[in-house]
Amino acid sequence: MNWTRKNPGWTMFAAMIGLLVFLWGMAIPLSSMPAPVGPAAQQFADGARITVWLTLIAGSVGVVIGVLAGLGKVSKFWPLRAFCEAYVWLIRGTPLLLQILFVWLAAPEIMPEGIILSDFACAAIALSLNIGAYNTECVRAGILAVPHGQVEAAHALGLSPLQTFMAVVLPQSMRVALPALANNLASLVKDSSLAYAISVVELTMVGYRVQAQSYQPIPVFLTIGAIYLILTTAFTTLTAALEAKLDVGQKR
Amino acid sequence: MNTAAAQAGPRPIIEARAIGKRFGSFVALKDVSATFYEGQVTAIVGPSGSGKSTFLRTLNRLEAHDSGEIVIDGIVLNDNVKNLDAIRREVGMVFQSFNLFSHLSILRNLTLAPMRVRKMSRAAAEAKAMGLLERVGLSSQADKYPVQLSGGQQQRVAIARALAMDPKVLLFDEPTSALDPEMVNEVLAVMRELAHSGITMLVVTHEMGFAKEVADRLIFFDEGVILEDTTPTNFFANPDHARAQAFLSQVRHG
Repeated sequence: MNWTRKNPGWTMFAAMIGLLVFLWGMAIPLSSMPAPVGPAAQQFADGARITVWLTLIAGSVGVVIGVLAGLGKVSKFWPLRAFCEAYVWLIRGTPLLLQILFVWLAAPEIMPEGIILSDFACAAIALSLNIGAYNTECVRAGILAVPHGQVEAAHALGLSPLQTFMAVVLPQSMRVALPALANNLASLVKDSSLAYAISVVELTMVGYRVQAQSYQPIPVFLTIGAIYLILTTAFTTLTAALEAKLDVGQKR
Repeated sequence: MNTAAAQAGPRPIIEARAIGKRFGSFVALKDVSATFYEGQVTAIVGPSGSGKSTFLRTLNRLEAHDSGEIVIDGIVLNDNVKNLDAIRREVGMVFQSFNLFSHLSILRNLTLAPMRVRKMSRAAAEAKAMGLLERVGLSSQADKYPVQLSGGQQQRVAIARALAMDPKVLLFDEPTSALDPEMVNEVLAVMRELAHSGITMLVVTHEMGFAKEVADRLIFFDEGVILEDTTPTNFFANPDHARAQAFLSQVRHG
């Protein structure tokens, strides 16, 4: 990890390239493996791609939700604070599977006529809302960790509240929040598997189908497990490098 | 150095009229009135909890006053955001705990506000910042981060950061109280140089030597009111109030 600390930019670049090469190219080595994995190589690759898409979309939206709701939770405006608290309370207190099913089954009844959400979109929405709630707590802790004196100094220099937040509070709170956010992202890679319940053909669903056809669960699930490990490794390398990049001006 | 002449000619830049401030049931300021003139260096002294820091902080609305009126350079300080922005551009502040932005390099600490608030170009802001770092003797530290500097160096950077906005008034809130003794002088030297440059300064301080040597005017706070408003020479020679006499004997022998 020392190399990561010294070259965060290159590590991020390498992790991203590695992830892309893996996603596009994994069908090639997989197809040379014996049955039941070899013949289903393309399915595994497609499933992994769906898993990564779900993770990236829900992960990004979740960070935005986390920042907004985290800010809401430290707001002086109590209705906003109450709303954000209720959101976190609701999401953290109910199972993710229930949330996914709820969005999938309830959304068509709530949405106006004519708008039809795909299964994938339902999964992405439910996962975003879920990780957003967990991110909220991390971001809130990060905001509270920024010394108030720096906020006063920014105000005294004439920076507006928004400028103060963007230039002083947010960068420092993200540095504090990042390890916890990275942890949430690693969970998300795996939690996205629950989308199988609403017939999104992601990695776990692929594994379930392939073993059901071949009656050989062991090689199939070992392959699926290995792919998940490679994905989580890529994501954690990425976030560790980001952490190193943001880790400036800190006491050691 | 000669208060009478300074008060006759120059323009008033800060006018505080009957300022009141309470924290819950604690009354921090009781109808405090004072007028400060352009170019004047005022030392504000008094025991801790006397309201001197609170008074300073109401002048750029880090604390909102509950009653009374503050007018700075002709602008009324109130909830009006436009007024507040205008005033904060004119009034710089240096804090006891430096409050440098720890995620930014020294240079970025100085360029942030000029670029965001005054919309200066990066090149112009950096040139100005380097000039100011030169002035406080820290141009070689421009690329370091606050945590890599000593307390005295950080406070000199904080002074340069405030100066980068070209304030008309600089407020100092116990600028040397958090420093190790051997670092106090390097900060006082910078402040002394500033005082002679003609900028208006209000300095809440425990450094009696500095007050005596540099200030044109001395204000003694006690229990939320101004007890003495005089010249340093007068104050140290023969304070009028018993509380001021007691305070002086404490700082002299304490």
